Amino acid sequence: MNLTNSSLMRPPDARVLPAVLKLLFLRIRISYNSFRHAKLRTKIRNIVLWGLILGFAYFILSVSRWLLSIVHSPEFVQSAGIDLGGILASIPTLTLTTLFIMTLLTSFGVLLQALYLSGDMDFLLATPVPIRAVFIAKLFQAVLPNFALFSLFGIPILFGLGISNGYNISYYPLVILLMIFLALAASGLSSLLVMLVVRVLPPRRAAEILGFMGAMLGLLCSQLGNFANSFGRDFNISGTRLAGILFLSNVRWLPLNWAGQGLVALGEGQWLSGSLLLGATLGFAMVVFLFALITAERWYYSGWARMQVVARKKMTRPSQTNKANTNGIGLRLARLLPQPVLAIVQKDFLTLRRDLRNLSQLVSPVIFGALYTLFLLRGNGEPPGGRGAAPSWFMDSFRTVLAYGNIGMSLFVGWMLLSRLAGMGFSHEGRNYWMLKVSPVRVWHLLASKFLVAYVPALSLGLVFLTIISVVQRLPLLVFVYGLVATIMCLAGMTGILLSFGVAGANFTWEDPRRMSGGAMGCLGQIVSMLYLPISFGLFVAPLGLANVLKFPISYGYGIGLILGCAVTAGFAIVPLWLVRKRVEQLGTG
Amino acid sequence: MPEILIETRDLIKRYGDKVAVNNVSFNVYGGEVFGFLGPNGAGKTTTIKMIVGLLQPTSGAVKVAGYDVQTQPILAKAACGYVPDTPNLYAKLTGRELFRFVGDLYNLDRTQVAHRIDELLRMFDLARAADDTVDSYSHGMQQKASLAAALMHDPRVLVLDEPTVGLDPKSARLIKDILRQLADRGAAVMLSTHILEIAERMCDRIGIINQGQLIAQGSMDELRALDKTGQTSLEDIFLDLTGGAEETEIAEFLK
Repeated sequence: MNLTNSSLMRPPDARVLPAVLKLLFLRIRISYNSFRHAKLRTKIRNIVLWGLILGFAYFILSVSRWLLSIVHSPEFVQSAGIDLGGILASIPTLTLTTLFIMTLLTSFGVLLQALYLSGDMDFLLATPVPIRAVFIAKLFQAVLPNFALFSLFGIPILFGLGISNGYNISYYPLVILLMIFLALAASGLSSLLVMLVVRVLPPRRAAEILGFMGAMLGLLCSQLGNFANSFGRDFNISGTRLAGILFLSNVRWLPLNWAGQGLVALGEGQWLSGSLLLGATLGFAMVVFLFALITAERWYYSGWARMQVVARKKMTRPSQTNKANTNGIGLRLARLLPQPVLAIVQKDFLTLRRDLRNLSQLVSPVIFGALYTLFLLRGNGEPPGGRGAAPSWFMDSFRTVLAYGNIGMSLFVGWMLLSRLAGMGFSHEGRNYWMLKVSPVRVWHLLASKFLVAYVPALSLGLVFLTIISVVQRLPLLVFVYGLVATIMCLAGMTGILLSFGVAGANFTWEDPRRMSGGAMGCLGQIVSMLYLPISFGLFVAPLGLANVLKFPISYGYGIGLILGCAVTAGFAIVPLWLVRKRVEQLGTG
Repeated sequence: MPEILIETRDLIKRYGDKVAVNNVSFNVYGGEVFGFLGPNGAGKTTTIKMIVGLLQPTSGAVKVAGYDVQTQPILAKAACGYVPDTPNLYAKLTGRELFRFVGDLYNLDRTQVAHRIDELLRMFDLARAADDTVDSYSHGMQQKASLAAALMHDPRVLVLDEPTVGLDPKSARLIKDILRQLADRGAAVMLSTHILEIAERMCDRIGIINQGQLIAQGSMDELRALDKTGQTSLEDIFLDLTGGAEETEIAEFLK
């Protein structure tokens, strides 16, 4: 048989556009098939989600129109004494600049995944499809979700501005055109960045590092406001800062400003300057995109080739398990554990530590704990001073509440870590679960090992946090010891709850660790454990308050608190696991 | 009479309406290599997964080394080693750590584990990569690591699903030799393969499964006797039993 002479085979089509369209339609077909074959529940959820997204976009449009009409009203100008025309005119520039920068940053990870880590590259590179078409299709595929997300906010704001400012009709299509061009230029630059990085690092490692940095950055940003305010710095946007931003957005030579300024000029009917600025922007964006496209294409193969030659990762230091054979009290204690339990614990700690993607999720509670320890260090555990002198009994009670509140905070820090380690203890095994499944490991050994993997780090973190705040707040030894017992027991109960929900919702088919959970069970586990946290801690603390109110000796309160708290938390540590023991046997059996 | 080390009785596995394995019964004896053949989707992997305890049968029973896999799973699994078709191993463990982990799972004596690891690393030519993480291994190295892990506890029963896929000729030969030695020492080795030449040369007995049903089993001579067309090669017998007519049609189409 000679297929090249066959009437079935036409000569390969070297045109890029039809190939790009084919690849994009293929992607649409895959999305459509995923939707069509999804469960009815998922279909309804997706439809509702899209309805909500569109409703949200309409809401933003209405709000921006309403706000801008207020700002434009003569009453506002008269009462406020300022004309915000300059600020309003800078909105397009600020919006488009944000779009460009956000696309540049967010596209990096998506492009890394789409160009180097997706499973279809072997297939696509082996087919007679122009590499340029593959590259462009991947670029579109990577940029579209982020672009859509940004458009959700950006378009209503810019359209709202256009309506309230009475811009002419050409303004509206140009907004969309400019957004597309700027997004393409930004993604082109981002792809160049990806190509550069994969020349230095293996793509998988780059993705791990990126995930780690992203998580850290997100957490730091989320805590930055509290942190800064606590240290007395004003991080709010002051008038000077605003003026600085406005000044930057008015600088003529910055290409990123041309788009916004051109839009405003065209909207206001200044055709010549508007056309020049917009033309320059579109041209500049096109040049950047083409340059990125041509350069990235040249670098693409070398990066792809690097994927095939995986660098050896030599572990120069002896591993923890090698060291494990020598000494240490912890290790002698660990030796008391059954051999398979210890093996799974050691294995989990090694794999968690070595995979940066896991580490990013685990470091978050540590950073959170460290930040709040700093707050406490600054406050010395003293109640805030009021305007008048409060009675001494009130201040004493307040100090006690603060002390136990901070013990509660140590529990919260532990919960953050537990929800990751216990909730995903089984899912963490992923496709490797078969190794445990075919081994002669008892269900209780498996549960015990996963319990320890989650409990020991969370308890250590909680205890370190508790010790620091006890020293900072100069808590009495009795309160510290009582807090210690409460922390040990409450976290044990929480581990039992989260681990059980983790068993019920175990997912072994993930590729990205962030996709380990996300099912209903994971969510339910978090809710239940969040409800459990105040209740279990309350069982330890409430008897103390009650003894105080009823004028009983405080030792009664401690005694009852210990009995109640320990009994209930121990029950939560054991009973949920006992309930899911059969489910563990079924895990991974298909 | 050799001991029965793998015993399946009326094994059925259903996925909804689809019957993946239908009433399969066979024995594998100590000291023999049993080849399990069948076209794609015939039910080979499903049967194997039920034998090693990765899948629960809808009905029927599996015994490994005399222990029921459903009611005495710990004892059955302790006697069994398994090599899957896709070697999903813990990517962030080094080869040495992986083997130590497996040794601990099987409760092996720690002082002997280190010795055994070195032995297996040498045997499978993995010594130089012993301290590299598994994610840096090639497919063939991962396949060898998977087999080495299955041999850590010197199992009485070894079940392998497509063990030679992705291996270079030297490694494939090594694996064939190891399996033969294991069988000679009294272990039961069951392997599924698509490479009929391997099955013909290595296996003492062969089972052929098609559309979920075991359509033939026995030694090469017994299979030849079963085949009414008088075919002599396993390939011809296999195609005849599993639908050789389809292949003829394909050949016609490709002409």
